[in-house]
Amino acid sequence: MRCEIDARGLACPQPVVLTKNRMKECNEIEIIVDNETALENIKRLASGSGWSFENTVSGNNFKITIKGSALQTSGAVQDIRTSCSGEGTVVVFSSDKMGRGDDELGAILMKAFVHTLATNDTAPATVIFYNSGVLLTADGSGVTDDIQILHEKGVQLLICGTCVNYFKIGDKIKTGTISNMYDILNTMNTSARLINP
Amino acid sequence: MSSGQNFYVVLLPSVSHVMKAEKILIAEHIACKIIPVPKSISSDCGVCIRLEENMVEKTGKILQNSFENIDIRLL
Repeated sequence: MRCEIDARGLACPQPVVLTKNRMKECNEIEIIVDNETALENIKRLASGSGWSFENTVSGNNFKITIKGSALQTSGAVQDIRTSCSGEGTVVVFSSDKMGRGDDELGAILMKAFVHTLATNDTAPATVIFYNSGVLLTADGSGVTDDIQILHEKGVQLLICGTCVNYFKIGDKIKTGTISNMYDILNTMNTSARLINP
Repeated sequence: MSSGQNFYVVLLPSVSHVMKAEKILIAEHIACKIIPVPKSISSDCGVCIRLEENMVEKTGKILQNSFENIDIRLL
């Protein structure tokens, strides 16, 4: 059976979840999506299920047709979700402490948080540092090795230049991009999810 | 994680103990790192101190002056 899905305007992971569900009853599905993340997720779903795919771009939209010989009656939607959970996520470090209350405890918690972020399977797209958050990026913070790991994973690291000057730590920062308010605001504006530990 | 080196963790009874131990180790110039207690050790929310293998013996000696129960394990 041939089916069509119009997934324009739907947030990740909706397009891929809808597709996965229709794969139980249709062996040829044409899906229209409006972003590349959705397109890539559907391609991954198709090839992971042994289905073929063909896609075309028309204007701002992507049309992808997937075909399979066997209907997909099993497999968890959960598996698909994980493939898009990190994309568009921005972590904002507005302080070198995690939470408010006791600063000494907050400093310990932040070290544990940054380590967990760096070693987690899902990496954020961007990490922003401002105010005392920039201190995390400086030598001696105890987490510069974790920040290096994030950098190696391809995470964009934006460090507030005004704050670096204020704290006079320019010579202690080895990783990341010294950034400005325009880039910081634009990154926040276009993010799918902001995390502020 | 890095170059196949073995890491150890120092487990202490509370976060306050960890904070105190970190200060002591930093003052003694021992390279250490605060990390969450690995899930394989405990499912509780906690932090511990990670050490490189060559620091384990020295750390044990230093910390035993200040703490009664120190549990150092291979990560």
